[in-house]
Amino acid sequence: MAQSERMIDIAGVHKTFVADHGTVTALEPVSITIRQGEFISIVGPSGCGKSTLLRLISGLDQATGGSITLDVSGRKRPVGFVFQEPVLLPWKTILDNVRFPLDTAGVARAQGDRTALDLIKMVGLAGFEKALPRQLSGGMRQRAAIARALSDDPPILLMDEPFSAVDLMTRDNLNDELLRIWQSTGKTILLVTHSVDEAAYLADRVMVMTARPGKLKCVHTVELARPRGEETKLDPTYHALVAQLRRDLRTPGGEAH
Amino acid sequence: MNRRFSAAVDYTLALAVLLFVWWFATGPMALPTFLLPSPLRTWNALVTIALTGELWAHLGFTLQNIVLGLVLGCVAGIALAYVMTRFPKLAVWLDGPLVILQTAPKIALAPLFVVWFGFGVLSKIILIFSLVFFPVFIGAVAGFRTLDPKMKDLSKLLGLSAVQRFRQIELPAAMPEIFVGLKIGAVQALVGAVLAEWMAGKVGLGYLMTFAAATYKTPLLFAAVLMTVVLGLLLHVALTMMERRLLSWKGAKNG
Repeated sequence: MAQSERMIDIAGVHKTFVADHGTVTALEPVSITIRQGEFISIVGPSGCGKSTLLRLISGLDQATGGSITLDVSGRKRPVGFVFQEPVLLPWKTILDNVRFPLDTAGVARAQGDRTALDLIKMVGLAGFEKALPRQLSGGMRQRAAIARALSDDPPILLMDEPFSAVDLMTRDNLNDELLRIWQSTGKTILLVTHSVDEAAYLADRVMVMTARPGKLKCVHTVELARPRGEETKLDPTYHALVAQLRRDLRTPGGEAH
Repeated sequence: MNRRFSAAVDYTLALAVLLFVWWFATGPMALPTFLLPSPLRTWNALVTIALTGELWAHLGFTLQNIVLGLVLGCVAGIALAYVMTRFPKLAVWLDGPLVILQTAPKIALAPLFVVWFGFGVLSKIILIFSLVFFPVFIGAVAGFRTLDPKMKDLSKLLGLSAVQRFRQIELPAAMPEIFVGLKIGAVQALVGAVLAEWMAGKVGLGYLMTFAAATYKTPLLFAAVLMTVVLGLLLHVALTMMERRLLSWKGAKNG
């Protein structure tokens, strides 16, 4: 699975905000190289800059310094982004929402429909194409948001605590489906989460970040076989990693909560 | 369906009672016609002007002014609200003048509009415009300001053009609040249209009223008043249908 081709190169990226009482460091310099097709989890407490890092990679915010290089050969939309909330357009059907990035990029309707319908099927929403977002549950809306993020086929998928608003059962299901989607599409995925279990279960590598100031503390390589499933959660290696991640977040410098 | 049917029955009953009271006052109670013409006389007056075509000319003129004023007021209200939310600096400058204009009683300005813009269509449409503009503007400002910031992130990620962002995200998102303003504006527009015709000109339902009153043709006056009531109802129905279509996604009306 681990191709050697680099997809995201982050070199000394940092971010400070100017506030009333001076400057606040949101993120101390971070450097990491992410390979194509890699699944990265980022864990850390609130205020550790993990969402900031994601926003910098996506281009939503500008870094104060350092550089981020995406190997995406001049694509207009190199990243798909899944927010904590689904952020669907409430007046559009699920199909129209998923097709929205294609519509606004000038893709022909018929082709857009084909792509969107395939994705809707892939995220398990077949039969709900004509439904409005308010008619779906939180988990289903988040599936639609994932389908939308994938619709114009970006090589990179950034996910900012995508499953934190859904219940635990749904979350487990969504995690498994995310792995399936990742395996079938070969996207490079960066997933921000509060949950160390989720981080370890999904990722090739886990970035541990600590707060005040936000910084990258360490990176763990996850030595768990693919494909992962319920057996993975019984694996002692998995438990050891989860325990290690918890310790990382608790030791001084990491104000876990 | 059943509820709709019973609502129709209720309306018809209420109308029948009203008609009966009206008839009772003019028939058995024998109120003189110059105070209150009977339903039949009023109906006859209405049919007469309908047959001569006079009614349609008056009705058409008033309706045309209302529609023009509504459309122009809406477009301008939404446009200024959008510009002001996009450029907050401009909002600081415009806030003061706008508050003064908004609180100024537009009806009181009506004679001034006649002086400035003449006896023709222009002064009438400007009065209606001024009545429609503010409710729509205030609604639109509220709508644009409450836009979910995540929607801005979405449009930035997708690299939407300003036009795409406005048409696909900002305008539909603000539509519920715009409609609140539009519905207030529509009622005001009818008031403004009739009032403008009272003051000047030789066409319109408002003119018909002043003409009938001045010549003591009370049945004709009643017919004209009835037509404005019908016009108000038609406007309400048209707007409600538009709202159902445009805002069905809110699901407030039908579950």
